[in-house]
Amino acid sequence: MSIQVKLFGSLVDIVEKNDLAIEGINDTDSLKKKMLSDFPELKGQNFVVVVSKQIVIGNQLLKSGDVVALLPPFAGG
Amino acid sequence: MHCCHHLQEDKNQRKANQFEKYERRKIAIMSEHKRKKVLVIGAITPQFIADSIAKHSTQTSIGAHDIFLGQVRADAINGKTVQAIDYSAYEEMAEDKFHEIREAAFAKFDLTCMHTYHSIGKVKAGEICLFVFVSSHHRKMAFDACRWIVEEIKANVPIFGKEIFEDETYSWKENKN
Repeated sequence: MSIQVKLFGSLVDIVEKNDLAIEGINDTDSLKKKMLSDFPELKGQNFVVVVSKQIVIGNQLLKSGDVVALLPPFAGG
Repeated sequence: MHCCHHLQEDKNQRKANQFEKYERRKIAIMSEHKRKKVLVIGAITPQFIADSIAKHSTQTSIGAHDIFLGQVRADAINGKTVQAIDYSAYEEMAEDKFHEIREAAFAKFDLTCMHTYHSIGKVKAGEICLFVFVSSHHRKMAFDACRWIVEEIKANVPIFGKEIFEDETYSWKENKN
């Protein structure tokens, strides 16, 4: 199952991309684990997982075609 | 009979008129909270703000406006000074969040109008990056709504800021409480 992951802010500096396609991940906890393992520098970073433009609390199952975003702290205003 | 037939026609016409009035009012209510684009490229100019104020002078039920302006501050960080903030956003989600805040503000406060603009891209120190403009019949609602909206924006809208220093290095801004 392919999931598109959008990245923003300081996370783009670390991953060096604005978005990634991730394979073989079924839920948000697994996604976080995989991101932290592929990009160890993410460990020091505060971020939230967003699925279909809603912040995820706890673990959430992912469907094929879900748009996921990892968002660092906000700075609006 | 003849007169009853006419009565029935009048009744149908009244129903049709009522239905049309209901539909027009429904459209008016929906338009009042119509989705408005909030993100704008570059700094918000004083002229834009003045023009927005001028546009409201025909709305004679308004008794109070409250306006918040967020300005880029030349923060000193580790011996360097912020020259500009380069704003970026998860735009689709940011516009959704601005719309949710708008709907919630109209539900929570008795407002006549509400306008919000936030800059995307580079905004220099001293320039305006956020413009929140609320209008109501009386001042209490305007004061309360404006503050509430600004706090909601700072907490919930996925906007990111790169603080750029004079030597072109940068750090990522984080909103504090």
